[in-house]
Amino acid sequence: MTAQTNNHLHFLSASRTHPGAWWISGICLALSASLSSNLWVLLSISALAMLVVWVCREDAPWSKSIKFYLLLGSIVVTLRVIFRIVFNLADSKTDAFLNLPSISINLGFGNSFHLLGNVSNLSIQAALVDGCRLAAIILSIGMANSLANPRKLLRATPGALYEIATAISIAINLAPQIISSLKQVRRARGLRGHSKGTKSLTGIVIPVLEDAIEQSMQLAASMSARGFGRKGKRTRFQMLVARLSTFLTLTLLTVGIALLLFSPTDQFIYLAVILSGLVFAGITLKVSSTKSTRTNFIVQRWQLADAVVIVTGGLILFSAFTGVLA
Amino acid sequence: MIETRNLCFSYLNSDGKQKSENPQLNRVNLKISAGEFVLVCGPTGSGKSTFLKTLNGLAPSFTGGVITGELLIDGRNLIGSEPYEFSHLVGYVNQQPEGAFVADIVLDEIVYGAEQLAVNKEKIAKDVDRLSKLMGLDMLLDKPVATLSGGQQQRVAIAAALIAGAKVLLLDEPTSALDLQGASEVLNLLRQLSQEEGVTVLLAEHRISRVIGVVDSVIVVHGDGSVTQGKPAEQFNDSRFAPPIIELGQKLGWKPLAITNQEANSLWRQAPAKYSEKLVNPPGELALKTSALEVRFGSVIAVQPTELNLYGNQITALMGENGSGKTSLCWAIQGSGPRYEGTVNTLSGDPKELSVQDRIGVVTMVPQRASDLLFLHSLADELQESDIFAKVPSGTTATLFQKLAGRIDTSTHPRDLSAGQQLALVLSLQLVKNAPVLILDEPTRGLDYSAKRALAAQLNALRSSDRCVLLATHDIEFVAMVADRVLVLKEGQIVADTIPVNVLGAGCELASQISEITNEPGLFTIEQVTN
Repeated sequence: MTAQTNNHLHFLSASRTHPGAWWISGICLALSASLSSNLWVLLSISALAMLVVWVCREDAPWSKSIKFYLLLGSIVVTLRVIFRIVFNLADSKTDAFLNLPSISINLGFGNSFHLLGNVSNLSIQAALVDGCRLAAIILSIGMANSLANPRKLLRATPGALYEIATAISIAINLAPQIISSLKQVRRARGLRGHSKGTKSLTGIVIPVLEDAIEQSMQLAASMSARGFGRKGKRTRFQMLVARLSTFLTLTLLTVGIALLLFSPTDQFIYLAVILSGLVFAGITLKVSSTKSTRTNFIVQRWQLADAVVIVTGGLILFSAFTGVLA
Repeated sequence: MIETRNLCFSYLNSDGKQKSENPQLNRVNLKISAGEFVLVCGPTGSGKSTFLKTLNGLAPSFTGGVITGELLIDGRNLIGSEPYEFSHLVGYVNQQPEGAFVADIVLDEIVYGAEQLAVNKEKIAKDVDRLSKLMGLDMLLDKPVATLSGGQQQRVAIAAALIAGAKVLLLDEPTSALDLQGASEVLNLLRQLSQEEGVTVLLAEHRISRVIGVVDSVIVVHGDGSVTQGKPAEQFNDSRFAPPIIELGQKLGWKPLAITNQEANSLWRQAPAKYSEKLVNPPGELALKTSALEVRFGSVIAVQPTELNLYGNQITALMGENGSGKTSLCWAIQGSGPRYEGTVNTLSGDPKELSVQDRIGVVTMVPQRASDLLFLHSLADELQESDIFAKVPSGTTATLFQKLAGRIDTSTHPRDLSAGQQLALVLSLQLVKNAPVLILDEPTRGLDYSAKRALAAQLNALRSSDRCVLLATHDIEFVAMVADRVLVLKEGQIVADTIPVNVLGAGCELASQISEITNEPGLFTIEQVTN
C-alpha cells in the first residue's frame, strides 16, 4: 500500500510538502501552547494538531506515531489531575469540586501535611490547564514527527549534521522493523516448542536483537560501499572560524536563556541575544558543512503549500505572543 | 582490472586477538581483466561472500579479521582501505536488496552513491537516464522501492551500485531470493553489462546451472583457503557444486565438458544415452486434508479456497512464482498462520486447535528464515535442547545433524554457521520431532549441490518411513531430485496437481536443465540416465 493508493495526494499532503515546514509549524504550535493558559485554546491547539495529521498524513510507518503521542498526552493530563487531587492544598473557602476525607501524615518533623481533602474547582481547573498545556506541546511535536518524512528531512539537513541525522533516520526506521521481526520470530519459535524459564524469553529476544543488529549492519555496509563517510578537507582558517562561531553560539544562547528566565520583562534584550545566537548557529552550520562533499541531486523545493503551513503556524504563535490567545 | 597478489584473509580467534589458524583466504593470486564475467562458486560455507567482500573493503571493515597482501583495482593498491575508498571503482549488491536500501523512492536510492561522491548534478542526471533505461527502470523512478517485485528491487540495487561510475560489480547471490523470471532478467542484464558496457562482473551463485553457460571464467573458493581461477569446463572436478549439466557430461564421459545447453544438446544428439523412467512413490495413507482453506491479508486474497489432500509416503512440491501464496499456504496448514476460512484435518485434529506443544508433534515446519529458530549460545546447547524438546535420547539430534552437515565443532556459536549449516541444524531440530507431516519453506536457499543431495537423501529416508512432506520451493532441480507430486500455485490458486514429469519435463515452462539439454520425453533428472 503506497502513499499514492491512499488518495491523500492533495495540496497539503505530507508526501508533497517539505518536512521542514511541518517542524517549523509544529514548533510554533508548541510555543503557542506553552504561552497560553486558556483551556479552550490549548484544547483547540491539540485538536488542530491531530486534525492536520489526519488530513495530511501519508501511509508510512512514522505517520502512525501520532497514536503514541496522543496516548502520552492523555497520560500526562490524567496524572496531573490525579496528583492535584492526592497532593491537595485543602481550601475550604472556594466551592468544592470533590469533597474527600482528608488524610494527614506526620513524619515527626516540620508541619504535618495533608493528602486528599476538599478539592476546589479552581485547583482542578488549574491542573487541567497545566496538563493540557503539556499535552498540546506533545501533540504539536507529535504532529511534526508524524508528517515529516525522516528520509526527506535527512536530505534537507546541513552537511555538519548529516552523520547525526543519518543515525536518527536509521533509528526511526528500526522501530517498525523490530516490531515485524518480533512477530516473525514469535511465530517461528512456536515451531520449535516452548522452552522453560529464562530460555523462553531469550528465545525471542536474541533472534530479534540479532535481526535488528544484522539489518543495521547490512544497511551500514551498503552505505559505506556506496561512499558514505568520505570527507573533504578543511583549511585551517575554516576550522578557526567554525570553532569561534560555535563558541559564540553557545555563549549567546546560554546568556539569552538565562535572561529569559531571570528577567523576562526585558523582552527586547533577551530576544536580541537569542536571535544573534541563532544567527551564529546558522554560520556554524554553514562553515562546518563545507567539510562534507556531497551533491544534493534531489532538492526538495519550498513551495506554496509549505509557506501556507509555516505561515499558519506563525500566525498562531504571533497571536499567542501578542496576547490575543491569552 | 582486478589483481590480487598473495592476498590472505583470516578471521580472529574467539579471544579477539590472534589470527585464526585456518585462514579464509590463503595466498590468493588472481587476475581478472576488464569486462570479464566471472562466476564465483564453491561449497556451502567455503567463504564466497568473504572473498567478494575483501574486494571492496567490507572485509575486514565490517566482518573483522586481518587482511594482508596486495589488492590492485584499476592499478591502485587498495589493501586495507575503507569501503568508501572503493566506491567509485567497485559496486556491491547483496542477497537481500530490501535490507540494503538507503532511500524509499527508486530515484533517491539510485543517486545515493553519486551524491556521496559529489558527482555534479548534470552528470548524475545523465547517468540516471542511461542506467534506468538499461535496467528497465525508467518507468519506476518515482515509485517506492518497497512496492517493487524482488527482481525489480535487485535491478534498482544494481543501478545504484553502478551510478558512481564503478567498473567492477560484485554480486553476492543476487538471484537466490528471486523466482525463475526475476532471476533470468537479472542474469541477462549482467551479461549485457559485461559485454556492452565493459563492466567487470563477479557473481557469487549457488544456482549455477543457468549461469555457467554465460560466464567467461569461474573462480572457485574451495573452503581450505585456496582460490582457483579457470575456464568453466575445467573448474568442476569437485562434484560438491557441479550443476546437472556438468554431472551429465561427467557421467557420459564428454571431453571437453559441455557448458552451455546448446553444446550439451548437440553432444547428446550425437550419442544419446539410454534412460529409465522416473518412478514416483504411490500415495500412502491420507495424512492431511484441507477444506476451503483461504488466506486473506486485508482485501488481498493470498490463497484462494483450497481443497487439498496430502499423503504419507510422498514428497509433494509446492511451486509457483514469488508472491503466489506458497508461504501463506504453508503457515495456514501448519496452524499458526492466519486463515480467513477453512479447516485442516490431520489424524490428531486441526493443528490450529492444538496447543503449541501438541502441534509440533503433528506438523513440523522449517520456515524460510531458519535462523529465527536458533537462540542458544553454542551448537552443543542447541542440539541438547532439541533432544529435550523432542523427548529423544541424548545425542539423537547431534547424530542427525552430523549426517546432514558433516562434522562441525560443537562449541561454535549457531550464528557463526553458514546459511547452509544453519538450515541443516534447524532441519535436524525439526526432523527429530518425528511428526507425521513435515513442511519445508524454501529449504535449499544457499545450499550447494552436495548439501542439496544430502537433504534429498534425508527426505527420501523420511518418505520411506511413511511421512508426508510438503516442500515449497522454486528450485526446479531440487524438485526434480525428490518430488513425487507437484502442485503449481498461481495467484493463490492451485493450477496444476500432477506428477513431476508433466511440470519439469521437456518443453514445459519449468523444465529442468536435463530436460532442456536432452529434450527427451520423460527424461528430467540425471539419475534416470544409464550409461
